[in-house]
Amino acid sequence: MGKSFKILAIPYQVWLSVLVFIPLVAMVVISVTNLNSTVTLSELQFTMEHWVLLTQRPTLIAFRNSLIYAGSTTLISFVLGYFVAYQIFRLRIKNKFIVLTIVILPMWSNLILRTEALLNIFSENNILKSIMGFSLFGNIAGTPTAVLIGLVFTYMPFMILPIYTALEKIDYALEEAALDLGLTPMQSFWKVVFPLSFRGVVTGSILVFLPTMAGFAIPKILSKGRIIFIGNIIDTKFIYTNYNSGALLAVILLIFILGSILLMTRFDKEGETLL
Amino acid sequence: MKKIVLLTFIAILGVTLIGCNSAPKLRILNWGEYINDEVVAQFEEATGLNVVIDVADSNELFYSKIKSKTTAYDIVIPSDYMVEKMVEEEMLLELDYDLLPNRALVTYMEGVNQIYDSMTATTLARTGDTVDYTDYAVPYFWGTFGIIYNNRIEGLEESLQEHGWATYFDADTYFPTARRGMYDVAQFAYAAALTYLEENPNDYSASLLTQAEDVIRDANFTEWGDDTLKRNVESDNLDMAFVYTGDYLDRLYIQLDEGKTLAEVQADFNIFIPETALVFIDNMVIPYTSENIEGAHQFINFLLDPEIVALNSEVVGYATGLEEAYDIIVSNVTSEDPWRQAWATANLTYYNKDRAGTYTPMTALDPDAIDAINTMIETVISG
Amino acid sequence: MTIKGVSYPVATLQEYGYRDYSKFKAVVKVLKTVLFFSILFMLYLSIIVIAIQSINASRISSSFSSISLTWYPNIFQEEDLMRAIRNTFLVSSIATILATIMGTFFAVGMYSLTKKKRQGLMLLNNVPILNADIVTGFSLMLMFRLLMPLFPNIFGLFTLVMAHLFFTIPYVILSVMPKLKETDPNLMDAALDLGVRPYKALIKVVIPAIKAGIFSGMLLALTMSIDDFVISYFNTGGGFDNLSIWIYAVIGRRNLTPSVYAFSTLLTLFTLIGLMVYQFLQRQKKGRKSGIL
Repeated sequence: MGKSFKILAIPYQVWLSVLVFIPLVAMVVISVTNLNSTVTLSELQFTMEHWVLLTQRPTLIAFRNSLIYAGSTTLISFVLGYFVAYQIFRLRIKNKFIVLTIVILPMWSNLILRTEALLNIFSENNILKSIMGFSLFGNIAGTPTAVLIGLVFTYMPFMILPIYTALEKIDYALEEAALDLGLTPMQSFWKVVFPLSFRGVVTGSILVFLPTMAGFAIPKILSKGRIIFIGNIIDTKFIYTNYNSGALLAVILLIFILGSILLMTRFDKEGETLL
Repeated sequence: MKKIVLLTFIAILGVTLIGCNSAPKLRILNWGEYINDEVVAQFEEATGLNVVIDVADSNELFYSKIKSKTTAYDIVIPSDYMVEKMVEEEMLLELDYDLLPNRALVTYMEGVNQIYDSMTATTLARTGDTVDYTDYAVPYFWGTFGIIYNNRIEGLEESLQEHGWATYFDADTYFPTARRGMYDVAQFAYAAALTYLEENPNDYSASLLTQAEDVIRDANFTEWGDDTLKRNVESDNLDMAFVYTGDYLDRLYIQLDEGKTLAEVQADFNIFIPETALVFIDNMVIPYTSENIEGAHQFINFLLDPEIVALNSEVVGYATGLEEAYDIIVSNVTSEDPWRQAWATANLTYYNKDRAGTYTPMTALDPDAIDAINTMIETVISG
Repeated sequence: MTIKGVSYPVATLQEYGYRDYSKFKAVVKVLKTVLFFSILFMLYLSIIVIAIQSINASRISSSFSSISLTWYPNIFQEEDLMRAIRNTFLVSSIATILATIMGTFFAVGMYSLTKKKRQGLMLLNNVPILNADIVTGFSLMLMFRLLMPLFPNIFGLFTLVMAHLFFTIPYVILSVMPKLKETDPNLMDAALDLGVRPYKALIKVVIPAIKAGIFSGMLLALTMSIDDFVISYFNTGGGFDNLSIWIYAVIGRRNLTPSVYAFSTLLTLFTLIGLMVYQFLQRQKKGRKSGIL
């Protein structure tokens, strides 16, 4: 495309440097100094006192929880989400917009309402039990299973969409060719379709992994406050105005996340496959 | 495309301008659904001010909102410890009692005075300053904390009345299979544990922290929640939880609306308030952001009118701080209207002003102490 | 088969290695359908429960008493709820429209940059999506506060829209960029050769070619914007609360009116019905011709 449009990128460069870059630098500074709302510039000094946080048990466990749950959620969403995306793709619906909307529509309702609704029916005595006489899910509220179910079915739309988009781009002639060449449908799927849709899987995995890793509302509600994610700790630190510790954890989380993106986007150098 | 952009900007501009009502504004930062709309309407009519209410769900969010100065709030309704913190950081204006003529006509309840006294005492111990908190704050609602319990469990009520806190914390001895819940505010858990240990809930030391940690660990909490606690006890998904007494009354009022009687609700779930009760008080204060200081005083004065306070109490399940308003509420005990009658009985039962026992607020702790308590609770939860 | 009284066993198809998969396939197909609809059901499970809660006559959400529609008209009685809903729609629609337009142009601009510059920008572009909400919310507030000496009443709709643009534009760019890459680079050149001015060519030629990306970007932007709480909380002001802020504040100490569930259900139902009508009209109008995308 013509280079004449370069100018269109300038406002965004300015926007990103003001609203992303400066706060990012500020956060790094806050995380290695004693800077907070009551410290004046003259008292400002380098300190790593609050770094002791990183050796504390809850922090480590929270990091571990975030990682394990984000990983499992991504894996389960990938398996189930790929299946759904593939079935929708097989239906050959003409209007993509409708498919996208139907998949994403649940996310338009408030997250807290949705999660509390799940908590409701995961509890022993719940609204469905009062209608049907039995509890559909038993009494799983407060267990890791409940948290996983909540995470998987909240974020799965983010997995389905990019996979579906990737599948849709595959030329049907390729599949036909594979079948003509004597591959069984199973082989043609694994050798042709799946590799071609892999970019969508990478994108979907990123979009599911990140919010699960950094979030905290769903685990907090569905585990009944018994499983702590790193997001919970960051939140607590910021709410109690302990910005230094909060910024430190946020920076580490960000490094972590950017690192995993770089790792995942080896498949796509610019991380631009997202949808 | 340019036209679309232009039109959108014009639309934004238009909406922003329409948003500007010409009447002078009074900006309030409040808890959600924490005021009777009727009261607001009457105040607007009486003063011609346009009341704008923002809501938040924690004192800490109030604090960051005031501190950031992004909105010129005239009234905030923070709790006790946050008032201390805000006074300490010079975020509040002193009240001008000449503008609050109603103050002279009412009496604060004994519990309210006790709370302000304890706040002064802890501030003195912590910072060496003597602060009279009534210089800054007027009570909005207050209330005790208690242990909401599932009365469908045989013997639990008796045990709570006989052994008090121990029934809740000592899971080895009492009701080992009972499902126990705790508020997910670390300081609440810490203060409750210290009260059980018969220590001052506002003291902090490394050894107290360890003792509290042991107590909290032994209680074996199955849930760390907030609004979910009261609903879970109500629906038989939880057996005991440390909550605001107002949490119980909130559910009680709803059950009464559903047509149940007070006795029926109490038979399902009830709340036990220990003799040494932890309490909170929400206060009307004027933050330094205020641009309508006179209007703010008008509002506070309006809410020192017992009739208005009683009206406000009809929708909020917490206790009034004014004896005169309390008298109006409990006088409904002879009312023909079953709801009013139950409302008055509930206030007599759970917020009785002649109740025996002491009231201790949870006061502001040192930020390092708060951080340590938060970490302690996180450690217990992580197992 | 008999030859001179000697009988040989007849080889069956099975012995040649043929296996009858038709039954197996039928079973697999049923299983697939069941699995597909179970997953769809699970995706909508919370929405279904909210819908049930919305027609529950009782305000106690853990047990169903009887069917009642009173909570629906009651939405209009709840002034605070209505205000929050209006604010949410206002912010989300403005933010979505602006994010879609701006994001598309930014993406075009970034696409024209050198590869290295573009990669750097793309990395920064990811930060708003990745960062913990509270950190984003807090840093945005600090930045907007710098404007306060100039515009004292800036906090409210304006900052809220700006904050929403901040985390929605990246999604639009992420959706548009791959579509740009797919477009034929000759398309633009051809238009230019025909004497069309560059910006006109951009609108008449390039935009239609990347329409699908723009639409999915818009959809994602709307989805992220409509349900944001943390970032909104820190960046609103002047009494401009959206639905999420209101829900959080009410749920903490008091009780939600079931009208919130009613609103949520209506939103889902209206969108679904709208989609069906749209699909139906498309079929009517264009016969077998495919939809807009």
